Amino acid sequence: MARQDQLQIDSGMLQFAPKGAYYEEADEQFRRVMDMWMGLFDHDRTLFCLTSLLGGTGFSKGMISHILLANPQSSTGLELVPEGLAFDYETKVIMYNLAKERTPRALKNLLMLAGGEGQGKVNNSRTRKIILEYIFNRDHNALDNLAINYKNKLRTLVRHALGKQDLFKILNGDQKLFDKWIGRYHPNAFPVMCYLFDKELPKDQVHAFFPKIERVLQLKVAAQTKNADSFKKLMNGLPHLTVMGYRNTYKVDIPIADIFEKSKVSGRQAVQMQAAAKRQGAKVKVNYAKQDIYDLWKVLYYKLLAGDPDDSDKIIDAIGKQSERKEKIDIGKVTVVIDASKSMQGSDKRPMHPFLTSLSILSILDNIQDVIYVGGTQVKVDDTLSAVIPSGGSDLWRGLVDAVMTGAEKILVISDGYENSPKGMFDYVYKHFKNSGHEFELMHINPVFAADAKTGSVRKLTDDTKPLPVTSYKYLETEIIFNRMIENRDLVKKLLVNKYNKLIGG
Amino acid sequence: MNILEALKFKNIGAGPVQSVDEMTVVPIVGDDHSDVISPPSSLKFERTSNYGTMVFTNEDAEPAIVPAHYSIRGRGAQDHAMAGSGVVLAGKSKSFNNACCVEETQGGYLSSTGNDEDVLPIGLRRALLNYSTRMEDHYGKLWSPIKDWLRGTGVTARSSAHLRYFYDNKDIKAELEHFAAEFEPVPGQIGALIMFSGTPVGLEIMPSADHWEAYWKQLIRGCYGAELIRLKKLDRLQPSALIMPEIPDAASPDEVKDILESFVRQLQDDVIPLIQGIDVTGSRKISKDGGLETRMLTTQTGGGDVIFKDSEPIYVSLVL
Repeated sequence: MARQDQLQIDSGMLQFAPKGAYYEEADEQFRRVMDMWMGLFDHDRTLFCLTSLLGGTGFSKGMISHILLANPQSSTGLELVPEGLAFDYETKVIMYNLAKERTPRALKNLLMLAGGEGQGKVNNSRTRKIILEYIFNRDHNALDNLAINYKNKLRTLVRHALGKQDLFKILNGDQKLFDKWIGRYHPNAFPVMCYLFDKELPKDQVHAFFPKIERVLQLKVAAQTKNADSFKKLMNGLPHLTVMGYRNTYKVDIPIADIFEKSKVSGRQAVQMQAAAKRQGAKVKVNYAKQDIYDLWKVLYYKLLAGDPDDSDKIIDAIGKQSERKEKIDIGKVTVVIDASKSMQGSDKRPMHPFLTSLSILSILDNIQDVIYVGGTQVKVDDTLSAVIPSGGSDLWRGLVDAVMTGAEKILVISDGYENSPKGMFDYVYKHFKNSGHEFELMHINPVFAADAKTGSVRKLTDDTKPLPVTSYKYLETEIIFNRMIENRDLVKKLLVNKYNKLIGG
Repeated sequence: MNILEALKFKNIGAGPVQSVDEMTVVPIVGDDHSDVISPPSSLKFERTSNYGTMVFTNEDAEPAIVPAHYSIRGRGAQDHAMAGSGVVLAGKSKSFNNACCVEETQGGYLSSTGNDEDVLPIGLRRALLNYSTRMEDHYGKLWSPIKDWLRGTGVTARSSAHLRYFYDNKDIKAELEHFAAEFEPVPGQIGALIMFSGTPVGLEIMPSADHWEAYWKQLIRGCYGAELIRLKKLDRLQPSALIMPEIPDAASPDEVKDILESFVRQLQDDVIPLIQGIDVTGSRKISKDGGLETRMLTTQTGGGDVIFKDSEPIYVSLVL
C-alpha cells in the first residue's frame, strides 16, 4: 500500500524519446521514466497496459509492451473480470499499437524483444505470436514490400521468434511446423522465408506472389555483373536504401542523382532526403500535403536556416491546410505566449524540437485570440520565407504583460520554464496582476520533456501553475487524462476500458 | 587606470542582464573580429604528448586562440588544463609545455576524441595568476591548489588532486547542466561580466559571437558555475535576492510595463560603473605570435590574459 500511496506518474511516461534535451541527457531521463513505468506496472498492470492506448511515442509504447511481455499474466485472468476485459486484451492492445505505428518504429519495438535498443531479450508464446502475426498476417503486396524494405530486421525477428531449431526445420521443408507458425497467417509465405534467410527460392511462387522480391534479386545480379542498363531498369520503385546499397557495394556506374530520383522513399524519408538529393543535383518530389504538421514545420525551419527558399510556399500552404484539417482542441478563448529564447532551440540531437512543438500546438488549438513571441530573431530568406528563430534571453514577463494588455481571460505560456531576465520576474508580475484584481487564468505547457515532472519539479513559472509537459502536439489529450489520473485513478481506468472497447473490443 | 581606459576598448556595450539566484551574467556585445582570428571549429585539441604538454592544431588560415585555462578530461588518461591562454598559428600545431595535470594519480595521455572540455574554476585560475607558477614547466603545479579547492565539498574522501571528482559527481553534474541551461547567449554577444551576489568575479570577451557561442557553456558551467556550487557547499556565498521594483496596485498594464522596462534598463546601466571600477595595476608581456600579443594583466583582486591584435584587445579573460 505504501507503494500505491507514493505512486507518482505523469504523461511523460508516454512521451519519452531517448534523445536528450537542452539540459538533460537521455540516460538520466530514461532512468526516471523507467521508475514511472515500473511504478505504475507494479501498482496496476491493467491501467499500465491501457494507458498505452493514449497518444505517445513509439519508444514508450515499445517499452510498455516489453514490460508486459516480459512478465507473465496471472494463470486465471480472473482479476480482469471486474474490468470486463478479455484475458488476451494485453496482446490485442500491443497488436493495436503496432498497427498504429509507422513500420520502422513498429519493427524497432518488436526488435526490443530480441534485445534491441539495449533491452533484455524476451521470448515466450506471446512474443512469438505477436512477432509472427505482425510480419505475416498481411496480403501478398504488403508482405512483398515489407520483405524488401526490412530484410535484416525481419530476419532477426523471425529467428528470435522461431528459435534456431524450428527455423532450420521450416527452411528445410517441415510443412507442419510452417503451417503452425507462419502458414496460419499467410499460407504462401514460404518464398519470403527463403528470401530472408538467403535460401534458394521456389521460382514459380516468387513470380506469382512476390514480384518485388524477384526484382530485388535480379537487381543484385545486375549489380554483381555491373550491368548498369539493366540495373537502371530494375531499380525503378525499389527502396532507395536497397538500390543505393547495391550500387555502392558493387560499384555500379550510375549517378547518385538518378537513384535519388528513381528509387522509392516514404513521404517522410523524402522530406529528410531533400537536402542530400539537392547536393547531388537531384530533386526528390515530396507531397507536402500528406506530411505531419510537425514535420512540415521542421522542414520549413531547416530550409530557413539553410537559406533555401525552394518549395517554401508549398510547405506554408500545407501547414495552413493541415491546421484546418486537424481536430482542434478547444481550451477556451486564449492568448498564447511563445518563449522564443535560445534554450527553445533544444538539444543537438533534436534541434529546434521545443520550438517546433510550440508551433505545432498552435496549429491544433482552437479559439486563439492572440499570439505573442518573447525573444527570438526574425530571419528572412526571401518574400515567401521568413520566420522567428529562437535566440537570446528569456524575459517571459514581457509576454505576460503584453497578454494582460490584450485583456485575455486565459493566457497559455509555452516555455521550457527557464527564465533569466531576471529569474523570478514572471512570478512577481503574475502575482501583482492577480493581487490587483486582473482576472485571467494562466496555463503553462512545457514542450521540453522533463522526467523530473514526476517529482513535480518540472520548471514552474509561478507557484500556483502546474506545468503540463507536452513534447508533441499529439499528446495534449494524453496530458489532460493524466492530470485526472492523479486525482481519480478509478475514473481514468473506466475511461480507458471504454476506450479499449471502442477501439479494439472483444 | 580603469580597464576600459587601459585596454582602449572600442564599441562595446552591455546586453540585457540575466540573473538567476546568486549569479548574474551581463552579456557584452561588441565588434566581431572573426576576420582576423580562426573560427573555433578550426581549433582542435590533439593530445597530451607528455605530462604537462597539451598539443592543439589550427586548421585555419588565421591564428587561433585557446581560451585561458581550458581543460580537457578524458577516460583512462591524465586530465590536463592550460596554464593560461594560447595562440596557435595559422595551419600549425603547437605544444604548450607549461600545462597542468589536474588528475594527480592517473596515468596515460589524452587523445583528440571522447573528451569533456571545460574551463578551470576561478579558484584554480587564481593559482595560475602568479607569473612564475604559470610559466613553470612542472605538470604537478596545480595539485596542491586542487586539493585545497576540493576540500570541504564532500565529493571525495581521498585527498588526491583529481578535479574530475567534482565534475563527475552525479549530483553536481546534474546541477551544473541545469545551471548552465539557465543562461542563454544573446544575439551579437561576444562576452560577459559575471557576478556572484552582485560582486564582479570575471570578465570574459571573445574575438567574435561565434567564439562566445562555442565556449560560453564551458565558462558558465565549468568555470563560474562550478565555483558557485563549491562556494554554496562551503557556505561561503552571500545569499542574494534581486529586489524587484515597487509596482503600485493601481498601475495599469501599460504602467507596469514601463516600470519593469526601466528596472531592467537600470540593471544594465549599473554594470558600466562596475566595469569601470576594475583597475589595472600591472601588465606583463607573455608572448607575441602571428601578430597577436598576449599580456598578463593584474587588477586589484585578480587578473588574467588579454590578447591584442594591432594594439586592439580581441580576447580578454580576467578573474576578478
